[in-house]
Amino acid sequence: MAVNENRPVLQFAPFQSAVDEGFWQKLSSLKLDTLGIDQSPISITGFYAPCSHAQVSNHLTLLAESLPSDPSEQLSSPVLSRGNRNRCPVPGILYNTNTLESFHAIDKQSLLKAESKKIWEDIRSGKAEEDSALLSRFLLISFADLKKWSFHYWFAFPALVLDPPATLVDLRPASQWFSVEEAESLSAACNEWRNSSSTADVPFFLVSIASNSRATIRHLRDWEVCQGDGQKVRPKSLFAFFEKFILFLFGLYDPCHLPNNPGWPLRNFLALICSRWNIEKVRFLCYRENRGFADLGLSLVGEALISVPQGRAAENGVCLGWRDPQFVPNAVGWELNRGKKVSRCITLAQSMDPTRLATTAA
Amino acid sequence: GTVERITGPRTVSAFKEKGVLSISEFVVAGDNLVSKCPTWSWESGEPSKRKSYLPVEKQYLITRNVPCLRRAASVEEEYEAAGGEILLDNEDNDGWLATHGKPKETKCDDEENFPSMETLEISKNKTIQSIPSYFGGEEEEDIPDMAEYEEPDNLIETDAATLQSSYLVVHEPDDDNILRTRTYDVSITYDKYYQTPRVWLTGYDEVGHRNYALWLISSRMLLQPELVLEDVSQDHAHKTVTIEDHPHLPGKHASVHPCRHGAVMKKIIDVLMSRGVEPEVDKYLFLFLKFVASVIPTIEYDYTMDFDLGSSSN
Repeated sequence: MAVNENRPVLQFAPFQSAVDEGFWQKLSSLKLDTLGIDQSPISITGFYAPCSHAQVSNHLTLLAESLPSDPSEQLSSPVLSRGNRNRCPVPGILYNTNTLESFHAIDKQSLLKAESKKIWEDIRSGKAEEDSALLSRFLLISFADLKKWSFHYWFAFPALVLDPPATLVDLRPASQWFSVEEAESLSAACNEWRNSSSTADVPFFLVSIASNSRATIRHLRDWEVCQGDGQKVRPKSLFAFFEKFILFLFGLYDPCHLPNNPGWPLRNFLALICSRWNIEKVRFLCYRENRGFADLGLSLVGEALISVPQGRAAENGVCLGWRDPQFVPNAVGWELNRGKKVSRCITLAQSMDPTRLATTAA
Repeated sequence: GTVERITGPRTVSAFKEKGVLSISEFVVAGDNLVSKCPTWSWESGEPSKRKSYLPVEKQYLITRNVPCLRRAASVEEEYEAAGGEILLDNEDNDGWLATHGKPKETKCDDEENFPSMETLEISKNKTIQSIPSYFGGEEEEDIPDMAEYEEPDNLIETDAATLQSSYLVVHEPDDDNILRTRTYDVSITYDKYYQTPRVWLTGYDEVGHRNYALWLISSRMLLQPELVLEDVSQDHAHKTVTIEDHPHLPGKHASVHPCRHGAVMKKIIDVLMSRGVEPEVDKYLFLFLKFVASVIPTIEYDYTMDFDLGSSSN
């Protein structure tokens, strides 16, 4: 299907990072006590939650708990820190260098490519449907200057690029999309999902609204279950599955607050939807909250068209498609600093430098 | 389970008599806050800083990324310019809850029931602008000029699906309030000495205050604790809000000193009881957060209270 030139390209608001002081303090002590000059990558955990206020987006936050107590152990068997509804864990990787020069010399393109390849492989293997947080895997490079108590760092939130990009058919506040009954049932189902400790930190899900206006939320893995079960019974299972429901949406916790743009996590979700489930017209729900409860006025429902990239001339002239096992889509996602392609730096001398602490305490 | 692990000096509730909380009452009130206002969560914090008298998974309460759209100082200017009456509470028998412009009894050491404080006067400067320099830090000092390290254009590919800052300008209303947004992590710990909750503020800067287009997709950087005082009611900024080590988190954080919390809570409870409302101890934190809102009026944390405070005898 050709892209309609008149339809706008679906644009995503970039994820924003926020690093707690505790993260840098813990990294410093890890470096001093355990890591030494070892520059091996470390598995870390970031946290985010749905947007919960009309005026501010939520961030991907790093806390002291984001770092493992014993990095060597954790890398072999990564165990995500326990989350709760206000901190959904997301896996990430940290490359900390020993000098500023090596920090700047890092081949950022290759690292981004490597991380996006992991996301792609998790989509292809079905792992991302079991653990949807894998879709938001992130990357952090840093140089911890322990003499000056300053930390240079740069985040990347790898997003698989759809080529051509998805176009937008419709995007509205969810409250305008649903009938009153549907909205009530959907809010109740979302609040239930968010309040149950087993699902509160699961950021991607399936929403269906039956003809009696009753909303149901399911895990991504249940897509396969529905399809598989049906196929055993009747061949036109997928069709029957859709027929049964008036509305079907792909839901996600949206950290973004903007009224006209979904947040970054939708990007890799769309890649999953079109590569695993071959859907070209995607209806999505950007789930947002107010004061911790579902807010369908802030939440968005959108309809996007994806032209599944069938084939694309690679540099060597060979035509590769998303079906090709060797193919890995391009990725973007290095975070900008005030609109610029520069790293960030924070100085914590005031709270970490013992001589300064002694002065302020006097 | 939980109850056996909790050992505190107070076994009989003094909630109504003194406005204080026992440790187990703090946990009960915290559970209630988390269930009614789900933006709040219990956390366990730094393992090395855990208090043995609190359950491991319920060391303190926190709500993150709370917007603060305006500086408290500017709110008060407008309020004074309007010659106005207090907007926050009508309990005018207590300075902390009454008018901002004319506090009546905010001096902590007048209170005999509580030990005196040594650390209250953090700055004699009257203007909040001078506070950053008092600590020898410029607001922007954190971020050195990294221009020489700016990456070539090929690092971040032009991607039609990435929302650029210029689009944000077009889409956002021309609202000056957005320019001044800071965000806060607000946490509540239990202060064993004063037997009350204690509030802590960790601020994140409005980095792009010079260029709001960039701010919207720009960095969220830690705010120096001293700058937090701009978001504190000016009656309290130099007296009751201090910069101290957080009991569960690393670093210095701004905190409302708890020396008078018990007395203030006692007054609130008395007022309620005089109206025939018998406050219940699990509602303590809602009352407490309502009172804290008079100290940090522009930080929009959640303490929604759309239910009964207690049993009414009427």
